[in-house]
Amino acid sequence: MIDIATLLFLLFATPVAFSLPIAFAWVYRPGAEWARKLPILSVFGLFVSLCIALYILFYFPNGTYTYPWLPDYNINFVFIFDYLSKYMGALTALIAFLIGVYGLEYMKHDYRLGWYWFFFNMFTASMLLVVYSDNLMLLLIGWEGLGLASWGLIGHWFRDDDELSYVGIIGRKVGPLNMFWSPSFGGWRAISTIRFGDMPMFFAIAAIYALTGNLNISEIDWAGLFHHIGAIGTVILIIALLMGPFTKSAQLPFSEWLMTAMTGPTTVSALLHSATMVAAGTYLFMRLSWYIEPWKLHHMHGVEMVYLFVLFLGLISALYGASVALGCRERKVLLAASTMSSLGLMFACAAASFWLGKIAIYVAFWYLIVHAFAKATLFLVAGHLIHATHDRFCCGDLELAKKMKVAFVATVFATLCLSGVPPFTAYWVKSAMDGIMHHLMHEVGSAPLYLLVTVSVIYSAFLAKFLSLNFIKGDKPKHLHLHGEVLMPIAYAVMVSMLAVLLYAILGHAEPIAGEFVEKGFERSSLAVGLAVLISYVIALVVPRLESPIGRFLGDRMYMPALNDYIIPKIGWAIAKIVDYGNRLIDTFCHQAIPELIATYSLGVRAIQSGYLKRYVKIALGFVMVALIVASLVRW
Amino acid sequence: MNPVVYAILIPLLVTFIAPFFRPRTAAIVSFVAFIIPFFVTLWALLTNQSFELPLMNLGKPIGEFYLFADSISNAFGATICLVSAMVALYSLPYMKHRFEEMKDEIDDVTREFRKYFLLFNLYAVSMLWLVYSGNLILLYIFLEISLLASFLLIYKYGYGNRQWVALLYFVWTHIAGVLTLIGFLMIAFENSTLALKSITTVSFLAWLLIFLGMIVKLPGLGPHIWLPWAHAEAPTPVSALLSPLTVGLAGYVLLRIYLVSPWFINEFRNIIIAYGILTSIYAGFSVFKQTDYKKLLAYSTVSQMGYMLIALCLGSYGLLGVVIQYISHAFGKSILFMTAGGIIALYHGLRDVNKMGGLHEYIPTISNAALIGFMNLSGILAVGMFGEFFILKGIVDVYGLDLKLILAVVFVFIISGWYSFYTLRKIFYGTPKGMERPKISRFLDTPLYVIGIISIVFIFPPLATLFLKSLKLCILGGVCP
Repeated sequence: MIDIATLLFLLFATPVAFSLPIAFAWVYRPGAEWARKLPILSVFGLFVSLCIALYILFYFPNGTYTYPWLPDYNINFVFIFDYLSKYMGALTALIAFLIGVYGLEYMKHDYRLGWYWFFFNMFTASMLLVVYSDNLMLLLIGWEGLGLASWGLIGHWFRDDDELSYVGIIGRKVGPLNMFWSPSFGGWRAISTIRFGDMPMFFAIAAIYALTGNLNISEIDWAGLFHHIGAIGTVILIIALLMGPFTKSAQLPFSEWLMTAMTGPTTVSALLHSATMVAAGTYLFMRLSWYIEPWKLHHMHGVEMVYLFVLFLGLISALYGASVALGCRERKVLLAASTMSSLGLMFACAAASFWLGKIAIYVAFWYLIVHAFAKATLFLVAGHLIHATHDRFCCGDLELAKKMKVAFVATVFATLCLSGVPPFTAYWVKSAMDGIMHHLMHEVGSAPLYLLVTVSVIYSAFLAKFLSLNFIKGDKPKHLHLHGEVLMPIAYAVMVSMLAVLLYAILGHAEPIAGEFVEKGFERSSLAVGLAVLISYVIALVVPRLESPIGRFLGDRMYMPALNDYIIPKIGWAIAKIVDYGNRLIDTFCHQAIPELIATYSLGVRAIQSGYLKRYVKIALGFVMVALIVASLVRW
Repeated sequence: MNPVVYAILIPLLVTFIAPFFRPRTAAIVSFVAFIIPFFVTLWALLTNQSFELPLMNLGKPIGEFYLFADSISNAFGATICLVSAMVALYSLPYMKHRFEEMKDEIDDVTREFRKYFLLFNLYAVSMLWLVYSGNLILLYIFLEISLLASFLLIYKYGYGNRQWVALLYFVWTHIAGVLTLIGFLMIAFENSTLALKSITTVSFLAWLLIFLGMIVKLPGLGPHIWLPWAHAEAPTPVSALLSPLTVGLAGYVLLRIYLVSPWFINEFRNIIIAYGILTSIYAGFSVFKQTDYKKLLAYSTVSQMGYMLIALCLGSYGLLGVVIQYISHAFGKSILFMTAGGIIALYHGLRDVNKMGGLHEYIPTISNAALIGFMNLSGILAVGMFGEFFILKGIVDVYGLDLKLILAVVFVFIISGWYSFYTLRKIFYGTPKGMERPKISRFLDTPLYVIGIISIVFIFPPLATLFLKSLKLCILGGVCP
């Protein structure tokens, strides 16, 4: 029997260790035939993680496990096994493994396999670290790993020479804005946005440590802490802490990086930018809420303000993301926008826990799980389509659907499950979410419910549009090359079948929370929303295209790129320019003006020494005159 | 006697022996001479060793000359040893290239290598001894030796208008030196001693002079203008010691004086921290406008040194931040200067950032090393994380939840991350510019990875556990002399 420490060490270390052979091989023999076989090792590393994560899910007792790190500072490797972490860990490992298998085929001919697999596996390890760690400092290590892996993988095709890896139409300009983005730019934008959120989060962690001397989420006396620092302090602290999740989960106004993150390989978009990494932000918020227990802190205005803020930020981001996805023509960007929308819903739902208690977190978490499998499937299908059609934009007709039957069926099932058409998986979870927003009527008003229903309707419309434009009513693809892929269809078929498993878990009451979902699902109001969703799904399926200026405005992401590409850089460069002038001024003053002044002075002094007596006498007399004048002036 | 003493004697002896060997052997001997004390000082750091070794007593007002070590000295010492050892190896291919460039002025390459290794080792070893000297005059002597050695290295082997730059460097550092010396002498007359363990008071004027001197050397905003010249035009191995090790030693001196008499920093805390933040942000923005890779790195040094000023104002945990920030910046910046040197050596003096782009295609090992270097600067998954952590904790300890200060310091950290990844993209990613793929000497990239791996290993147990424990005992336990 292996002890827990070894098991946990293997969980995090194996993926990284098994990706090192390919990483090193690629440094010394890039592209060698034998090196192209090494990715199997990396996937094996992911498989080991999956086995351990499943073992944890089924056999570990709930609780924490501590291993010393900085015991003198009371900061340790603390791992927690509870409802959230066990499921999230298994989900992460499973999706990472499946996408790893898909990647074996998808990335077969890539020019940079060492880099890809190293960061892919490092990402998985970091994500598992974030999921299982109870200590905020340890979590931060995983968190930074996520950011770095995301940067590395978005900018994977760093040469910027492949049209297929861009986002936007190359060469298109709107006003001063370039509406196209290259992979290396996408990477820089992702990391710059994420740093912007991570640093306040880092501050908040340090502040929590300074104020409580403890960094274990489950042990901190949150109520005491908030009481100690007062309402304003609470707002500063929690918002600073949540800046990390907000940027990582691409909430407004930090959404742009997620759209340009689509310059990375599709496997990366599927794993990092839909199923797991971006969900890490919402996951952290859920975990924090789980232990802060805000429903017991109703007398604290600071906490209430924060949760209200998160509720509306989430809903508005969800609406924004859904509208953008509605106007979008690019396969992956459409899915990215929809991911952002879903993340917003998770935030909003988890924030409702302030008023409704733990149930809201359960619902948000279940939505996360459903979304992860469905969205990963859609991304994997999109990747396969891009491979087959050599086109980033939606195209494909029934003929294509016939040729790619597995992809077609997977898309149909995933869209139905995700949009909340009854009686598919997300319907039950969404019904519970409707119920929660309905309950908020008394405290917050009716806005959350209306926003949620609007988002749901738009959401199902663009998913149907995705299906229709790619398989039913889209243009005929210009090129169509099917290479007899085997692993890719298997991967997304398994992925999409997980949705059926989840459906079974809900309807079969395999989970305690499932009863709640089913009960809410049979309420009349939920059925009404379900019907509305179904109608919008059918309409969009039949009419997937509508040319209008509004559509173009939405498709251009409401010109949010202006913030990242124009306003902030303009300000930054203006300051840089001023600073540069400052440097030149100081430089000229110190290294030109002062030496020249001294040189002039020295020249003057030397000019005196001419050797003529006449000049010395004149100078002496001059000094006497000056002395006399001074003496007379001061009446001496 | 403590093994650390023997260990730091090795490089001192080797300084005078190495010139007798052929270049390759000399490089390896110098490397060994620094890597042994690295392991010894690291061991001493991890086990919280301390010792005191009296040398001689010079009577009033100089007082006792002695060597001493505590965990602070060992932390600085280990860093200096590691970086010096790696740069010594790296010097071999780089200076070979440099001497080829200068072949009109040099007749015998082997002879130049002799001079070079003498000066290089002297420079490094004087910094190493500086952190172990227990008397301020002794400390000043080592400071001067390091300045002279580095001045000569720039004067002889620098780039551009090198004599002018060397003089500029000499004048600036001597302004710093003289101010500090006057401060030291005032301490001597007030206390009748300059032995660190016996000094009891530091008057306002003495503190002010030392502080101003060290601000010139650190450098703070204003005097920082010497740094881009010196760092950019020095031969790259010298830049790789100058920026990571030498300028940060100003922080070491301030830290030592602070531990003796903290009142000055505590009294003027608000002004100093504001100045530190301003320095950091100002220099951070300057980085974006630089086109010369080495100048760019020099401005980033100024920005990082601002961290040290900020940390110095933040109480005990801030002091921890000073030490860790020194280590992290030394690791990161030495890697980065060596990447700059690598590009210079492989592409015939290429330093213009605008002419680079897509270099990852041709020199992936150097590009990946640069990534680790920038990770150190921005505190991602490297020892710098702890530095930032303790600085942020220090803010809450000293100032509470002061929103303005929090925003400013957080912005300082953000901008480091921004310029790091902006520069990475500009130099190494994007469309390759059709250069050829050079053959890289292993000495030109392996040393970078050694430093890089150590900087990452430092955040995990057992290293992190032990070295932070020792520093805590030393700084927070009140056992410092």
